[in-house]
Amino acid sequence: MNRIIKVARMQLINKATFIGIPLLILFSAFLFTVVIWWLVRRNDAEGILYGGGAQAPMWYFLALGIQALTLTFPFSLGMSISRRSFYLGTLALFATCALVLSVFYYLMGLVETATGGWWLDGRFFALQWISENNWFIQIMFYFVLMVLLFMIGFLIATIYMRWRQMGMVFFFTSLGILVIGAIALITFTDTWMQFWEWVMTWSAGGVTLWGGLAAVLMAGCSYLTLRKATA
Amino acid sequence: MTQATAIAIRDLTKTYKDLKALDNINLDLEPNRIYGLLGRNGAGKTTLMSILTGQNFQDHGSVQVFGHEPFENDATLARICFIRESQKYPDDFKVHQAFAAASLFFENWDQHLAQELMKEFDLPAKRKIKKLSRGQLSAVGVIIGLASRAEITFFDEPYLGLDAVARQIFYDRLVADFAEYPRTIVLSSHLIDEVANLLEHVIVIDKGQIVIDADAEELRGAAVTVTGDVAKVQEFIGTAKVLHRDALGALASVTIESQLDAGRREQAKLMGLDLSPVSLQQFVVRSSLSSASERVDEKSEAWS
Amino acid sequence: MIDDSKPIFIQIAELIENDIVSGVLAEEAQVPSTNEFAAFYRINPATAAKGINRLVEDGLLYKKRGIGMFVTEGAPQRLREQRREKFQQQFITPLTAEASKLGIGINELVAMIKTSSDT
Repeated sequence: MNRIIKVARMQLINKATFIGIPLLILFSAFLFTVVIWWLVRRNDAEGILYGGGAQAPMWYFLALGIQALTLTFPFSLGMSISRRSFYLGTLALFATCALVLSVFYYLMGLVETATGGWWLDGRFFALQWISENNWFIQIMFYFVLMVLLFMIGFLIATIYMRWRQMGMVFFFTSLGILVIGAIALITFTDTWMQFWEWVMTWSAGGVTLWGGLAAVLMAGCSYLTLRKATA
Repeated sequence: MTQATAIAIRDLTKTYKDLKALDNINLDLEPNRIYGLLGRNGAGKTTLMSILTGQNFQDHGSVQVFGHEPFENDATLARICFIRESQKYPDDFKVHQAFAAASLFFENWDQHLAQELMKEFDLPAKRKIKKLSRGQLSAVGVIIGLASRAEITFFDEPYLGLDAVARQIFYDRLVADFAEYPRTIVLSSHLIDEVANLLEHVIVIDKGQIVIDADAEELRGAAVTVTGDVAKVQEFIGTAKVLHRDALGALASVTIESQLDAGRREQAKLMGLDLSPVSLQQFVVRSSLSSASERVDEKSEAWS
Repeated sequence: MIDDSKPIFIQIAELIENDIVSGVLAEEAQVPSTNEFAAFYRINPATAAKGINRLVEDGLLYKKRGIGMFVTEGAPQRLREQRREKFQQQFITPLTAEASKLGIGINELVAMIKTSSDT
């Protein structure tokens, strides 16, 4: 247990990586969005303005998942850390960061609603599709999305560490075949309309649930893969 | 501290595709000694150390470190330090941050020693690791290895890019710190001449097999080179095991595995033969080469 | 200093013996510690200890618990006697053998020795 916490402390030695950069990305995305809204409002635009910038830090987590592994894993082997401790420590730290950030999103969403969309009727944190849910689903939605993106990066990097280039070729070829197969299936059965209608029925709660399951599945796969990975 | 075996290796085999990196290795390492793990590049040194530190895994056989399998065993791993020759560090780390990380995981970490060494190696604490020269990168590894004071410390060719002065600092610090804090050190190197006098025990590995496993002192003076007239040299060496033979016209220079007493030395002098000592490096080179040719002989015999 | 001709512990023992014979290390003088020898000659401390222990076994050095190693009283004399015994075998026999090979007579040899010890 002790060494798991130490792994988390090691990942935090450079505080920019897990805390500084995500916050910087979030605040600059927010700032840019608000400036753009303000400019738009000066031109007397009507209606609600949406900004997708809240996603920005989440895409960084995809890169962070890769980086946490490719850079820190070989180092942690040199620090005589077991793969299990590395895995649990890194994931626990990221989950904590993601949870704190999710709560922050939720709180900012409340402020956004209270201030009438930052006095500009804009939607950055409290997208209606999400904010119409209760607080728990809202926080879990952000949390699961962040963890899911981190796990995608983490899993891809683990496959690389274990099987190197061959692993990458195999993984992306399989993924490509799956995606093309799905597209082909929908195209040949002429069911694109049904598909998009189905997508429109997704709720934030459902996405959270299925995303969470996918993240757990990927977490399991990446651990099994990491167990026999070498530096 | 008990005198139980620090590392016990039984029937260890590791194969990469069609290359036998380790071929049925059996070894015991005692605690609180400095071992030299010698051999050519690709002989299997790094693979062996990786398996001993749980960084890699064997196909067959077992390794026990302080009586436990090291693989995924935090309690055992915590007593080991193994910095690779090509050790990777997080890209965004500065030098002092790498040491901060090491201080988390190595219980006996001596920050004061790390700081002294940083000064001696002229290592800029605030520089990013990825901006260091090859020699400075090696210095980071050397400092972690020394300051960790782990019960078993592996140094895998720790000197890449280090100049002669820096290497001497490393050797001096190693001897001094080992004397004060005895522990098991495994020094893998092919600069054998430089480290020979530091070693208490020598293990030579060649093509995945152990060819020498002996106390360093037993190897010193264990061989001698006899130079002189071909016929007289032949008469003198008799049936002694020949490690190497050079000829130049009527002159022969033969290295034999034999400890000569005063009487034999006297005899050589009277026969007009020159005797010259064989360094550990020469001995290791000769032994690995002759073991390689012996194996070829075995094979060709099996074929015939 | 340290070479490859024979085990290092023997060389360390011989170095200390030389210092005792020549008076660099006087009777009852403290001998450097194992670790000091190791650091100075850049050798393994266990090897240095082995060399020193050899002299302890021979009674030329003795241990004072918690303080260190000291030269035994009478050690220089004993070493000198030992070396005198070996002197004949180590130096005189080869000398006369080589001299007779070169046809140097005994008187001539004595004269040569006199000249070199005068300088």
